[in-house]
Amino acid sequence: MLGEFINPYYLQVASFILINIILGLSIYVTLSSGQLSLGSAGFMGIGAYTSALLTINFDLPIIAGIIAGALVAGILGILIGIPSLRLQGVYLAIATLGFGEVIRVFFVNWESVTKGAVGISNIPHIGREIFRMLRDSGFDPGVLGLKNNQFVFLTVFILLLIVNIFVVWFLIRQNKSRVGRAFASIKMDEKAAEAMGINITYYKVLAFTQGAVLSGFAGALYAHVMAYISPADFAYHRAVEILIFAVFGGSEVIWGAIFGAAFMTTMPEVLRFISEYRYMIYGLVLIVMMAFRPQGIIDAQVLDWFKKRKLPKRRVDHGSSNQKHL
Amino acid sequence: MVLQIKNISKNFGGISALTDVSFNINEGEIFGLIGPNGAGKTTMFNVITNVFGPTSGDILFAGETITGKKPHKITELGICRTFQNIKLFPQMTVLDNVMVGGHCRSSSGVFRSVFRTKFQKDEEKQLRQRALELLELVDLVDIMDAISENLSYGQQRRLEIARALASDPKLLLLDEPAAGMNETETESLFGLIKKVQAKGITVLIIEHDMPLVMKLCDRIVVLNFGKKLAEGTPEEIQNNQEVIEAYLGSEEDEHSA
Repeated sequence: MLGEFINPYYLQVASFILINIILGLSIYVTLSSGQLSLGSAGFMGIGAYTSALLTINFDLPIIAGIIAGALVAGILGILIGIPSLRLQGVYLAIATLGFGEVIRVFFVNWESVTKGAVGISNIPHIGREIFRMLRDSGFDPGVLGLKNNQFVFLTVFILLLIVNIFVVWFLIRQNKSRVGRAFASIKMDEKAAEAMGINITYYKVLAFTQGAVLSGFAGALYAHVMAYISPADFAYHRAVEILIFAVFGGSEVIWGAIFGAAFMTTMPEVLRFISEYRYMIYGLVLIVMMAFRPQGIIDAQVLDWFKKRKLPKRRVDHGSSNQKHL
Repeated sequence: MVLQIKNISKNFGGISALTDVSFNINEGEIFGLIGPNGAGKTTMFNVITNVFGPTSGDILFAGETITGKKPHKITELGICRTFQNIKLFPQMTVLDNVMVGGHCRSSSGVFRSVFRTKFQKDEEKQLRQRALELLELVDLVDIMDAISENLSYGQQRRLEIARALASDPKLLLLDEPAAGMNETETESLFGLIKKVQAKGITVLIIEHDMPLVMKLCDRIVVLNFGKKLAEGTPEEIQNNQEVIEAYLGSEEDEHSA
């Protein structure tokens, strides 16, 4: 009975949404300290290739590959982050965009290892591996009323959902802490933050590295969900796409990047007939958003509005005590 | 001596903003730094907190050289400042602003923050408690949840002082705290600074409001065109001929004008 409701195609789209949410959050976390990095595609590629090559060539378990992918991206993030700190705003964006291109060209040219532009296929698929493990221990998805491939896609989806919940939980907690306040203060006024005793170098590198780790992590997951990667997957287009998630959804709050990633991944699937014009529409979205709503669809006010609707009583207390003095 | 300024000079290209300025600040006093516009007062603050370093000279804080130390290290050592053109964190709440001020007196990192260890919870509680005390002190506790950019000018100035105090400074630098305040606000600022002094914090203040400076300060240094013009008690300064000329112009100036 469960089987009738589960469509592998929808699960696949949902899985892409979840991976894209992690990518959107990688932009968000770097941006929360006031730095715009467009290197997400590059770090994503690092994570994907690291994990794919380790699992194929050294027979590492997928989980080890994914962790290694995120770590390598993170280490590279520190290395790139430290010199990039001298750059601000648009210069940092340009430098990190350049970094992404360097990484892509590197994948294309290091043919002996990366197989160049052809890409790497037969990467162990995370869902199938889990399925195989369970089957070997005598499990049959038929018990749940599922076909084998339904089970595989469902496993991937659930796994990614758990990962997503963890990442969002991590970021929300971090936001509401000393570290989050340090990020926010640097974003709002770097000079004042420094004067208040915040080591801005440390926190900027930290935010940049967290972004890199998240991108690398998402990239590694992507490799093991797609089972095939090529340098074109991590090109300039991807960087723009990831940027759009945050710009469209909202770059100031976590839920903005989440909404942006979900919406921008779903739309091309729903509107199949115009998916050829995808990048044109992305460009248009960027322009329109910058002109009319630079902070993105979801910002703190929108969130407040939602909260107020949900908790009407609290709103009265809270609102009146604020307005009295303003 | 809390702070020793030794022969500080600062050049910007060909312009010398400070030339061979020296003075000492004793523990617990309120020390005024005055002078006409462009005399180099804010430059002196920026040199002390090492927003930029001096061209030559040395600064000692509690006997230790702080010249060349990073700004956040200097704050950690116990010097914190406010800014002439208010620099709050505009989209943060009043309370959060003050809690950021306590950053260098707390230590929870990413791990402790995310997993909310007991250490982190206690520390957060303490930070909050301390912030509330300071907001009480500057009379902003009623509006602690307001977004700081929505505050009135005088409130923002007081919030900046609370934020600086949250870093537990031994020496507080105030850059024109009374600017843009009306008489009542200035009066309460006077009370506030006196209270800060009573807590054993040394205060170095730049201010243009002369009645306030004369009433508040134990000693004063006057800067003019980047040079030290005079140093002394408010009375001595008020009767110093050179100072009067610097502020009002000399008789010769008037003749030639």
